[in-house]
Amino acid sequence: MKKRVTLTFPKRTVHMPVTYRLAKDFNVAANIIRAEVAPNQVGTLVVELSGDIDQLDAALEWLRVQEIDISATSREIMIDEDACVHCGLCTGVCPTEALSLNRDTFQLVFTRSRCIVCEQCIPTCPVQAIATNI
Amino acid sequence: MRTIDEINEKIQAKRAVVWTVEELKANVVEMGVKKVAQMVDVVTTGTFEPMESSGAILNLGQPDPPIKIRQCWLDGVAAYAGFGAVDLYLGASQSADYSGSGEVSDLEELREMRSRSPQQELGGGHVIADLIAGKPVKLRAIGQVTDCYPRASIETTITRDTINQFYLYNPRNLYQNFIVGVNGGDRPLFTYLGPLQPQLGNAVFSNPGALSPLLNDPDLQVVGIGSRIFLGGGIGYVAWEGTQHFPLQKRLPNRTPIGPAATLALIGDAKQMDARWVRGCYFKSYGPSLMLGIGVPLPVLNETVVERCAVRDEDLVAPVVDFAIPRRVRPNFGLVSYAQLKSGQITIDGKRVRVAPLASIFLARQVAETLKQWIEQGEFTLTQPVASLPSDRPFLAQDRWGAQINLE
Repeated sequence: MKKRVTLTFPKRTVHMPVTYRLAKDFNVAANIIRAEVAPNQVGTLVVELSGDIDQLDAALEWLRVQEIDISATSREIMIDEDACVHCGLCTGVCPTEALSLNRDTFQLVFTRSRCIVCEQCIPTCPVQAIATNI
Repeated sequence: MRTIDEINEKIQAKRAVVWTVEELKANVVEMGVKKVAQMVDVVTTGTFEPMESSGAILNLGQPDPPIKIRQCWLDGVAAYAGFGAVDLYLGASQSADYSGSGEVSDLEELREMRSRSPQQELGGGHVIADLIAGKPVKLRAIGQVTDCYPRASIETTITRDTINQFYLYNPRNLYQNFIVGVNGGDRPLFTYLGPLQPQLGNAVFSNPGALSPLLNDPDLQVVGIGSRIFLGGGIGYVAWEGTQHFPLQKRLPNRTPIGPAATLALIGDAKQMDARWVRGCYFKSYGPSLMLGIGVPLPVLNETVVERCAVRDEDLVAPVVDFAIPRRVRPNFGLVSYAQLKSGQITIDGKRVRVAPLASIFLARQVAETLKQWIEQGEFTLTQPVASLPSDRPFLAQDRWGAQINLE
């Protein structure tokens, strides 16, 4: 199964090779979607964890023991359906094609699972229909 | 084959056969031009795209004592006041500008009123859209005190129902074809086509192609001055040729132009428009604009009308222009078809480039469909143009200040 979480590292855990431990000890693949990590600062990592359900739970429990804060509610892109005019301009800047146009109806389609929350679509939208939920 | 009068009789009797231009294209493939021309009376086209050369004329009505307005701001956006006392012209691409218009506290109050976050950019297009949506708009004006008009200033709130005239007069709308923007440089560019990423990171086109009104009447044979149209959800008219009208653009054998060509000036009562089809918009680091839904009915007077309307995205092209060269004439990477553009990907110099539209094809179709319903229900009749649009306008450039070197 897959689980998307936001990990917040206290300063002292920034040096820990977290993704290595997740892979080695729990057989959990961590796909890093966003990262903000610097020496001696609180770090943030948005990761999509995939692995066996039991091992995933064990991995999350281990992260908690390391005092890494786990938040399931990661930042998400929200589209205001009333404001959107389906022009499609955002589809040209979306690196993962999470935003695309239906080739028959030319309506905007947002595939949330592909979104890496890079937020490039937000300033691109000419009618300010795209925002994050935080 | 038919006259406009005959078509109007059928419309009033609710017997007119009306197809959207997409229905017509599909039926021509099935049945051929001749048969289709016998069956259909009116074809509806539509577009929904940013048209920054749009604006609203407003007459406020006089306060007591009266004022001769010389400077004026609507929600902080300057409107032109160099007409008779309380006539204003608000341009869609005018940015909010508070200099000389009062205190900072007013700006904050205003922003709160509009419940927009402070970093969101506001312009004439948003104010026009707000008025059409029935929202209140704050007005501040400075007058020239004269014996006729003693008042020096006024601050008030207006809505579309508290002013006399409120109509759009758009000097340049409905571009017959446009360009495809790309960026061959090494830094991101912020353009009227939205962000263009470096190293040909993306491409943007802004015309809906085969749905577009003037690409279906390439020589402006049935659209002329006085043609009644769907403008922003209300009824409008073709007022004149548009600015930069360039019918002499190079054309394909199907008569469609290979780049920007004809344009139209449009006029219509904004009080009857619908906010659904009139949206303020803003392009990051470029400025505000106005997105408009416009539909044009094409009367099937003869087979040539059907033949021209049968044109498909495969038969229409636009030039791919490199915005990295900051000149009037920018280098281009050749022509691509609208079928390629709508596939979401083109190839430039062997590189695959993602393409996004800027015209809403989804809403353009709804415009054509809505206009079709109006005509079918007998609510919208066609007009005979009172004059043709010029077919021989050159496209002049302002070069006289520089060295006269002909590079051709």
